[in-house]
Amino acid sequence: MPGLSTMQCNMADIHSFESFAAVDGEGIRYAVFFTGCPLRCAYCHNPDTWHRSGNEMTAEEVFNKIRRYKPYFRNGGGVTFSGGEPLLNSDFINEIYPLLQSEGIGYCIDTSGSVELTDSVRHSVDNADMVILDIKFHDAGKYKKYTGGDIEKPLALGRYCTEKGRRLVLRTVIVPGINDTEEDVGEYARYVTENGLKFEKYELLAFHTMGFFKYENLSIENPLVHTPALEAKKLNELQTYLNEILKSQEG
Amino acid sequence: MNDNRTAWRSFNKGVWCDDINVSNFIKMNYTAYDGDSTFLEGPTARTQKEMKRVHEFLIAENEKGGVLNVDTTKVITILSHPAGYVVDKDTDIIVGLQTDEPLKRGVSPFAGIRSSVQACNAYGYEMSDKIKDEFTYRTTHNTGVFRAYTDTMKKARHAGILTGLPDAYARGRIIGDYRRIALYGMDFLIEKKKYDKDKLGEKEYLDDETIHLLEDLAKQIEFMYQLKELALLYGYDISKPATNAFEAVQWLYFGYLGAVKEQNGAANSIGRIAEFMDIYIERDLRENALTEQKAQELIDDLVIKLRLVRHLRTPEYNDLFAGDPVWVTLAVAGVTNEGKHMVSKTSYRVLNTLYNLGSSAEPNITVLWSERLPENFKKFCAKVSIDTDSIQYENDDLMRRMYGDDYAIACCVSAMKMGKQMQFFGARCNLAKILLMTLNGGKDEIAGDQIAPEGVAFGDEVLDFDKVYTEYKNYLKWLAKLYVNTMNIIHFMHDKYAYERLMMSLHDTDVERLMAFGVSGFSVAVDSLSAIKYAKVYPVRDERGLITDFEIKGSFPKYGNDDDRVDLIGKDLIEYFYRELCKTPAYRGAKHTLSILTITSNVMYGRKTGSTPDGRKAGEPFAPGANPMHGRDAEGALASLNSVAKLDYACCRDGISNTFSITPDALGKNEDDRINHLVTMLDGYFLQDAHHLNVNVLNREKLVAAMNDPTLYPSLTIRVSGYAVNFNKLTRDKQEEVIARTFHHAM
Repeated sequence: MPGLSTMQCNMADIHSFESFAAVDGEGIRYAVFFTGCPLRCAYCHNPDTWHRSGNEMTAEEVFNKIRRYKPYFRNGGGVTFSGGEPLLNSDFINEIYPLLQSEGIGYCIDTSGSVELTDSVRHSVDNADMVILDIKFHDAGKYKKYTGGDIEKPLALGRYCTEKGRRLVLRTVIVPGINDTEEDVGEYARYVTENGLKFEKYELLAFHTMGFFKYENLSIENPLVHTPALEAKKLNELQTYLNEILKSQEG
Repeated sequence: MNDNRTAWRSFNKGVWCDDINVSNFIKMNYTAYDGDSTFLEGPTARTQKEMKRVHEFLIAENEKGGVLNVDTTKVITILSHPAGYVVDKDTDIIVGLQTDEPLKRGVSPFAGIRSSVQACNAYGYEMSDKIKDEFTYRTTHNTGVFRAYTDTMKKARHAGILTGLPDAYARGRIIGDYRRIALYGMDFLIEKKKYDKDKLGEKEYLDDETIHLLEDLAKQIEFMYQLKELALLYGYDISKPATNAFEAVQWLYFGYLGAVKEQNGAANSIGRIAEFMDIYIERDLRENALTEQKAQELIDDLVIKLRLVRHLRTPEYNDLFAGDPVWVTLAVAGVTNEGKHMVSKTSYRVLNTLYNLGSSAEPNITVLWSERLPENFKKFCAKVSIDTDSIQYENDDLMRRMYGDDYAIACCVSAMKMGKQMQFFGARCNLAKILLMTLNGGKDEIAGDQIAPEGVAFGDEVLDFDKVYTEYKNYLKWLAKLYVNTMNIIHFMHDKYAYERLMMSLHDTDVERLMAFGVSGFSVAVDSLSAIKYAKVYPVRDERGLITDFEIKGSFPKYGNDDDRVDLIGKDLIEYFYRELCKTPAYRGAKHTLSILTITSNVMYGRKTGSTPDGRKAGEPFAPGANPMHGRDAEGALASLNSVAKLDYACCRDGISNTFSITPDALGKNEDDRINHLVTMLDGYFLQDAHHLNVNVLNREKLVAAMNDPTLYPSLTIRVSGYAVNFNKLTRDKQEEVIARTFHHAM
C-alpha cells in the first residue's frame, strides 16, 4: 500500500498534535496524529481522523515542532506517532527519522498494525524505540465484523517486532457486551502467546464515550451509541486477571 | 559581640559575625539534605489537639460569612492588644496572635479611613466613635493620594485602565528580614540603626531625601522598641539572639507578628526562612535537645500561627484579591551562587505541614526550583502538588542571576533580596482595554468618555495591523508615563502616611527600591493583535459611533500553541511597554520592574472591558496572569507552557505568572508516573528560562461538585494565580472562571 502521503515530497496530512501525551509510551510524549485509517472500528473514539484534514505538512515542518519539546524528553520521553494509522505514513516517518536522530529524539508507533508489511513499514518499525500494537480481537470473524480488517496483518506486524527484538506493548480496548468477560481476556492471552508474540506489557483500555460527540459533529452513525463506558473497577479486575494468566503462562 | 558566645555556639564563624549578613550565616552553616522524605514525622497529639481547636475557629468563621469577629473598639498596632492564644499559654508552642483571640480582626485605618469604615460595615460591624475621632484630624494615605491625583489619573482609574492600585489600601509586598531578630537579637539591630542615623546626619548638606530617611530611621527605631515590648507581653525577651531552635522560630515569628499587627498591606510574606531555621534545629538535634518529632512539631506550630493571620478587607478589595489571602509566601530550596543546593530537612518539614495539618492556601509555599535540586526533593514536591494543589514553583536558576541566592518571594511572583530590596507595589494596567481605546481615539468603549488624548480615526474597513499596532504603541507610551507618575504619587503618600516602620527596620538602611508595574489582559491583547494581523477583523459600531464589537473573518494563530507568529507579538508588546515605563523616573530612585500577573482581578478587568478583536465578548473574564485564554491552547499542556516560556524575564522582573491545571489521568497512569512526569515537566519548562508555574492536579468535575455543594470538600485548596485559595471562599463568578479554565486532559 503506498500510503496517503505521496512518494515524491512526503507530505503528511496531520489531524492534530498533543504536546503532552503522558499515557502512550514512556516518559512525556509529543503525539503526532495522522489522518487516514484502513479500519472502521465500531468503537473508534477518533472518527475525526478517518478522513483528510487538509493540513498537509512536510517532515521538516513536523520536526521543527517536535524539537521544541526536547527539554521535556528526559526519562525516556519522545515522539509518539499515532492517528489514524501512522504506518500509512511510513515514508514520512522514515524521512523524519534522521532529523529526530540528529537531536537524539526517539519515537514510538501507536498502531493498529493493519497495514501491509512493506519495506517502508519494516524500516519504520526497525527505527522505532517501541511499538504499541492494538490487538483488537483474537478471532478473525469478530475482527472483520467490528473493524472491517484482516486479523492476519497486525499479527504479522507483531511477529516482525518479535523477530527483530523490538520493544512491543500490546493493547486491547475492552467494550461492554463485546469482549468484557474473563473468558474473552483468557482468549486474548492464549492468542498472543500461541502466536509467539514477545511483548513487555499487555494493557487493557476501557471503552469510553468521550468521543461520541465527534460522531455527531461529523454526522457519522455511531454503532455503539447505546453502549456504556467500561467502569474503571471492571477494567482493573480484567487487567489483574490478564496479568495472572500471562504470568502463569510464562511459568 | 562577646555576649553572643552561647547563642552562636558551634556555628561556623564568618563575616556574618561582625555585621548583619544572614546570607553568609546560612551558607556557612546549613546542612544540605539529599535524602528522601522517610525521616518525616506525623503530627503529635499536641498538634492534633491544637488543630482541632483551629478547625473549630475556621468553621465558625465560615459560618459567619468569612469574618469571625472584628475589634472595632481600637486601632490595631503592635501593642494594642493583650496576649492571645489558640488553646492556652501552655499548649501553644509558638505564641502570638494579632489580637487577643484567634481570627479576630483588627481595624487598621492608616491606608484609608473610608475603606476601613466600609470594611466594618460589610460584615455587620460599626467602627467605634473613638477610632473615627482619632482619624478626624489625621490624613490617611488614601486622602493624600487623592489630593495629589490629576484629573487624568482619576479618569484612567475610573475607566479601568489603571485599576486595583494601592491608593485605598496598604501596598504590602515588603518582606522584613525576620531572621535578623533570631540571629542578632533586637538590641544589636537597634544599635545598628542608631549608628546609621547618626552617620547620615553627619552629611554636609541634608537634602530632601536625607531628611526623609532620617525620619524613616527614627520611626523604625521607635517600632523596634515596640517589638521588644510585644515579645515581653508573651513573656520573652528578644533583646538578645536566639539560643536554640525554639527561640529562633519564636523570635522570627515575633518579627512577622509585629509586622502584620502594624500593617495590613496586600501581601505580607515571611520570606526565605526554612533553611535558616534548619541550622538551629540541626544544632539542637546534635545536642540531643530536640527529636525529629519535636522539630516537626515546632514547624507545624509556626505554620498553624501563619494560617491564622487575618486582615479586615472591603468587598472591592476582595474583588481584586479573592479568597481572603494574606500571601504569607514562604520560599524554600534554591541553589547557592556557588552551585550547591539549599534543600535542608526543614524544606521537607515545611512541605510536610500540608500532610500533618491538611492542605491549605497559607502559607503560600513557593519552591525555588532548580535543575540542581536533588531528585528526591523534586519528587517529594511533585507528590505534594499532586496530593494537595497547594504549592507553586519559581525558577531559581533564572532569578538567582538577578537576585543572588538570598532572595525571597513576596506575594505571588515578586522576587526581592532579603533585607536589601523593597518594592513599591503597583497593581496593573489593562492592555486589552487600552487597545480598544486606541481604536476609539482615546474614548472609553463602555462609558464613551474621552480618557486618553484623541488619536487617529479608524474607519469601517478591515483593521490594518501596522496602523493599529503603531497607534496602540502611541497610546501605550502615553499610558506608561501616566502610570509611573500615578505610582509616584501613591508611594510618596504611602511613605508619608502609612510607612512600614517595623518591616523597613528589618532592611538595610541603604535599601534598594523596586517599583513594580503590572499588566492584565495580556493574552487577550496578543490574540487580538494576531486576529487583526492574520484574519480579517471588521469593526462594528454602536449608536454612539464607538467601536464596541468586531466581525472576525478567517482564522488566526492563538497564543498558547507555541506558535511564533503570535507568541512573538506578545514578546514584542511587553518589551516595548517595559522600555516605555523606564523612560519616566520612579519615586525615590526606584528601579522599574514589570509583572504579568492578575491575581484574581482578571475577572474584574474583564467585566470592565468591552468586546475585543480576538472574539472575546464584552464583560467576559480575561485569562489570569500570562496564561493563554481558556480553551485556545489546542496543542496541549507543553505547547501552552512553551508559549509562556518565550516571554523575557529580563523585562518582567516582577514575575510572569502561569497557572496550570491538569487532570490526574492525563498526568500519568499511576502515582509514580505522575510524579516523574511532573518533575520532568517542571525541569523542561524552567530549562527554557520560564519563570513561574502554579500546578493543580485535579478534575474539573470535582470543582463543579464543590461549587454546587461546598460541604463536600470543605478544605479544597486550589492554586489560582500566584497563590492558593480555599475554593469555597471564592465568589460564584470567580469559581466559574476557575472552572472555565483549560484543564489539560487525557486524549
